[in-house]
Amino acid sequence: MNNAQKLGLAVLLVLYALLPQFLKSYGIYLMTLLCVYLMAAFGLNLIVGYAGQMSIGQAAFYGIGAYTAAILMTKLGMSFWLVLPIAAIICFAVGLALGFPALRVQHHYLAFATLGFNVLVFLVMRNEEKLTGGTFGIANIPRPTLFGYSLDGALPFFYFAYASVIILAAVLWWLLRSPWGRAFAALRDNPIRAESTGVNITAYTLLAFAIGAACAGIGGVYLSALVNFIEPGQFHLSVSLMMLLAVIVGGSGRFFGPVLGSVVVILLPEWLRFLQDWYLAIFGFAVIVLMVFLPGGLLSLADRLKFGGSAR
Amino acid sequence: MTPFLEVKDMKKSYGAIKAVDGVTLSVGPGEIVGVIGPNGSGKTTLFNSILGQIKPTAGSVEFCGENITGMSPLELSRRGVGRTFQTLQVFVKLSVRDNLIAAAQEFKGTMPGRLFASPDAGLGQHADQMIELFRLKHVANLPAGSLSYGQQKLIDIAMAFMPAPRLVLLDEPCAGVNPSLVDELRALLGELNKTQGGSFVVIEHNMDFIMKLCPHVICMVEGKVLAEGPPAAVQANPQVLEAYLGN
Repeated sequence: MNNAQKLGLAVLLVLYALLPQFLKSYGIYLMTLLCVYLMAAFGLNLIVGYAGQMSIGQAAFYGIGAYTAAILMTKLGMSFWLVLPIAAIICFAVGLALGFPALRVQHHYLAFATLGFNVLVFLVMRNEEKLTGGTFGIANIPRPTLFGYSLDGALPFFYFAYASVIILAAVLWWLLRSPWGRAFAALRDNPIRAESTGVNITAYTLLAFAIGAACAGIGGVYLSALVNFIEPGQFHLSVSLMMLLAVIVGGSGRFFGPVLGSVVVILLPEWLRFLQDWYLAIFGFAVIVLMVFLPGGLLSLADRLKFGGSAR
Repeated sequence: MTPFLEVKDMKKSYGAIKAVDGVTLSVGPGEIVGVIGPNGSGKTTLFNSILGQIKPTAGSVEFCGENITGMSPLELSRRGVGRTFQTLQVFVKLSVRDNLIAAAQEFKGTMPGRLFASPDAGLGQHADQMIELFRLKHVANLPAGSLSYGQQKLIDIAMAFMPAPRLVLLDEPCAGVNPSLVDELRALLGELNKTQGGSFVVIEHNMDFIMKLCPHVICMVEGKVLAEGPPAAVQANPQVLEAYLGN
């Protein structure tokens, strides 16, 4: 990243921090939701974009994180700060287990294995009423306090979620800039060569799934605190598909790809609401156009302008 | 000379087809051995059987006295065995420099330790030297996939030598390389053999290249070793001529 890009990023970060000051509560909610969603999307980008594995099950981890938080906080009265690492560890462990199919199958076969996992988790959330509340969900999930300061208000929680996603992004940036990031990319680009150059493809595949799942789990904890109520529909397969869309539309394997992609997935439909009945149709059409003309995602536009030709 | 790599009675069958049929060969320390033969003679299958890419039907492989038969490519790479492939195998989205670093970083320290290592894993200078040696400086920061076939082939070969392996198996290093670069590539391999001191086994169809580079040549036909010895003797062998040119 050159100095101009660093400056541009700093300006955007400041603008995003200032914007909620001028918005009503629904606008602030959407901006907070974007931060929360982005935690899961960053994790999915590690799995799909950097390690080259396919996953249509990210919403399952989002849900596991959210339900872990909801159950532990409402039924056992545990603190948000204790629940956060517990949910991340649980999702890390489950993600590690979900990584095993990736050692045997790839591409659309792996996509279906992760899809099956998402459906399985959804059914557990819906049918295990005693634990999850079934279709009624779990309500009254409390928001945390920070050094005795309540984060109940829309703005304080926004700044909390915003700072948290920046910290998570910084950790992932550091991880992907380390030799691990290069090993993930080697695994994505050419697993056969990667193995012959000493890359432990078993370990890196499992780690990609586990770290990506932990990110989604953290996002889920924040989601439960944001909306104060969760139910299975929030973690349906369609949410996984939208997360995958966010990663691909923004630019899979590009660090800031999920940011742009999440803006498209979360905010664009809202901006299009003035079209009333047509807004989802127009949104769908916009995504099709984007994929046809920029299959490498929005961030590939710069490469297309630089190198010309296809921006794949 | 004590064998460095010793392949004994290697066999690989696919049903009734014997792709490799009882091949025995040995390679000494620092030796360069050429493997020639018409298409379909079993050269690449022999390589893949030695290197754990496929499971041999019978036979054994010893490297520095250790039985390495059936070991995975990962285990072999950790023992200092490198390779190039018949088809291009580079990391297309990584830059040339990152390709070279990726080819050696996993041999530096432990996996948890590498998470906290510098981004270039301490290999930046070595990568730059290899980039210089392989005349890739002008494209060092470009994605490997954006380069020409010949340039990618050079990256492919440079990657195999990045971790300074003790044994390298090169599968058709000249394929697709501009003829004007072939002599340069031969000189490069000769230099690497001297500086790094490793042993090479080279599959190649370019006779001039193999005759000049390899003091010892093996000719395979229909999965078997038809002839072996100094390049001139193998080239003059009537059976070899018949295998290539027919009666």
